[in-house]
Amino acid sequence: MIETLVSDYLTELAEMFTSPRKRVFVGYLVAALLIGMLWLRWRFGSGWLSGCRQMLSPAIWWSSSARADYQILLLNRLLMMLISPLLLSQVVLATLIYQQLHGLIGNPPLPGSLLPDWSVMTAFTLFFFLLDDFARYFLHMLMHRWPWLWAFHKVHHSARTMTPLTVLRTHPVEGVLFALRSVLVQAISIGLFLFFFGSQVDLITVLGVNVLVFTFNVTGANLRHSHVAIGYWKPLERILISPAQHQIHHSVEPRHYDKNFGAVLAVWDWLGGSLHLSERDTPLCFGLAANVVEGEQSLKQLYLAPFTESYQALRSAGRHWLRRAARGAVRMR
Amino acid sequence: MKLKKIVTALAVASLSSFGAMAQADQNAYADFPVTVKDYQGDAKHSVSYGGQMARHVLHTSLKKLAAQGNGQPNAELKAKMMAYFEGTDAGREILSPTSKGGFVIAQSQVDELSGKKNLAGKAYKGAVTSWPGNMTGAEVLAFMIDKASAADKGYDSVNGYDYAQLISKFTMGAVFYNQAVDNYLDEKLEADTKPNNKAYKDGKPYTGKEHVWDEAFGYFGVPAHTLELTAEQVYNIAKGKEDALSVADHNGDGKVSLYDEMAYAHGYYAAATDKSGKTDYLHTITKAFVDGRQLISDANGEALTDAQRAELKGHAKVIAENWEKVIAENVFKYAGSTYKDLQKITSILEAGGSVGDDYRNYIKHWGELKGFAMALQVSGKDLGETGVQLNRLIGFGPVLLGNTQVTGIDAKGNYLQDSTVTMDEYMLQMLKVQQLMVDEFGVKARSKDVLAGMEKLVEKLGAKAASAEND
Repeated sequence: MIETLVSDYLTELAEMFTSPRKRVFVGYLVAALLIGMLWLRWRFGSGWLSGCRQMLSPAIWWSSSARADYQILLLNRLLMMLISPLLLSQVVLATLIYQQLHGLIGNPPLPGSLLPDWSVMTAFTLFFFLLDDFARYFLHMLMHRWPWLWAFHKVHHSARTMTPLTVLRTHPVEGVLFALRSVLVQAISIGLFLFFFGSQVDLITVLGVNVLVFTFNVTGANLRHSHVAIGYWKPLERILISPAQHQIHHSVEPRHYDKNFGAVLAVWDWLGGSLHLSERDTPLCFGLAANVVEGEQSLKQLYLAPFTESYQALRSAGRHWLRRAARGAVRMR
Repeated sequence: MKLKKIVTALAVASLSSFGAMAQADQNAYADFPVTVKDYQGDAKHSVSYGGQMARHVLHTSLKKLAAQGNGQPNAELKAKMMAYFEGTDAGREILSPTSKGGFVIAQSQVDELSGKKNLAGKAYKGAVTSWPGNMTGAEVLAFMIDKASAADKGYDSVNGYDYAQLISKFTMGAVFYNQAVDNYLDEKLEADTKPNNKAYKDGKPYTGKEHVWDEAFGYFGVPAHTLELTAEQVYNIAKGKEDALSVADHNGDGKVSLYDEMAYAHGYYAAATDKSGKTDYLHTITKAFVDGRQLISDANGEALTDAQRAELKGHAKVIAENWEKVIAENVFKYAGSTYKDLQKITSILEAGGSVGDDYRNYIKHWGELKGFAMALQVSGKDLGETGVQLNRLIGFGPVLLGNTQVTGIDAKGNYLQDSTVTMDEYMLQMLKVQQLMVDEFGVKARSKDVLAGMEKLVEKLGAKAASAEND
């Protein structure tokens, strides 16, 4: 029992770096390093070696914040391994959606009767990507706007230095929410497409990964969590979130608060009024606030404090709601 | 010198091949020694399940007769069918399986396997809730036989029944499955029933427990040397394919013996299901039978200890659970076929076309679905809510072109029809039947899966959603 648990754990840890499905796949990390070095050379004239040294500096990679990232990563893998079998499965939800559509619309069309195979594949790949990206934006926005969720999401924002592994600096409660979001998005996409297109449905992939996700990852997605502020051409930053835009999202500057929630696409932020374009030559400081608080990188603080804070936020929201309801009742009289 | 070497080489080769043969035969359900203490006869082996094999050919012959009506009430055909179902008279011919080309069958008379056997006497004695009329298993089958004798080649287009399929699939459940799992592998494994320290009957070369186990094995319906065969080979044997003769003919007499070289009933369906490569019911069940028989044989004619019986019951449990899954896999499969037939039919109807063969296929597949679903419920185990759901989803008959369905029978045995659900709604019910088989029985082969591709897509999108990656 313990032996299989340990071996599963080690396999999963290794998979994070060896599977092209994972953001921190070693291939994507190397691609990000190369892109970063090219950028530093082009923008600041840095030599190859100094660019590399700057990006891999121990001041970033062995800071107390980065060390907390690593601890969280190791602990979360174990927790998620234990929690994930308890979550609702995509298959169950997709089947339910399929059955609901069947009841509402009637019997599904014969496979091949609506669209040719290639267009079903393209549509499915695009639909899943858009729905997934929107869901990421939306949940991320709620995590910032709802105080009881912000309590948990703060763990991610408490990073003072950022490395690509900061992407995994997540409170486990947030991890569960991400997993449920993913289940929902997969189930909707699969249930819907399987109903209308049956056996024609397939995903366009590269190395077994959705081609659009692969493109995002291989073109330097990991630089979002880094100190290399690559900004795009301004009109492009309204469509795609650049690494510099995501770094603004992590900035302690109050005017940067609650901006750029998007993962890949910037259009959601643009439509929702939370888009902030990158600022050339503005040095950024990352974290929750400019002042460093004692013990802010301790695991105990990072894992436990969100629960009390979230509870307090919920309690005060409840009181507020009750007061409003009472006032409404008085007015009704 | 050279000659000496050749002789030595030949001796080594023949010894090793003999060793391989001996090894292989250990896997066969055959040649277990006589262990009855005071046995006086001259039998060399104690395995005996002729009665079960006689019932298998009574069933296959009955299925053949069920498709021979001319659409008019036919007393002669009915009497012939009843002779195979209920009769015990000598001289009944084996109507199926029979020799086909090079696939030569050794026996042609039921009595060559065992005399005075019938199906009715061994059919499920409880009430069958999956069929209207509150009848026992034998009564349901007799009712179906009566209807089949008056139908056109066993096909009733007005009510949507294919009697050859219904009779065959339900017989497999009500007789073979029920007898094996509800009788031989259940109460007859108790200490005080058919004990191992006495002959099954005076003068017989087998003990009580040996024979009980043999009878259960016989009902499963596989060749004695199944563990040396692949699922595909067993499937081909049952289909009587000419090139299957060499694998079926274990004793090398050039013929296939219907006693121990043929595949029938759920043994055949286990092989057919396993052909997908996703399951191994055939070998799992057969191995449990062989291991159980070895355990009894090893007791050497002494009463089984509690520990031995507990181990034997462990094998029985493996058999019963996997046997049930074989039936559930086929409920799943035929619910899928029915769904696909309905998809075709409703599309043709929408386009204003006519549904000839597609409708006939629908009724055939529905008959198989219903027969397997009825079989699933006669193991003596109460399926509870699952059984109720299954019967409500499938109904007493398929939804017909005018969106009506058989809902019962009157006192004279005539079918009653009423409007229930549309074909579209019935399709959804077929989908739910598949889901029920997945949820309740954990079916794995999932042939004709309406939602085929779902798991593949989940895998492609990332089966493990819980990665905790932030944005």
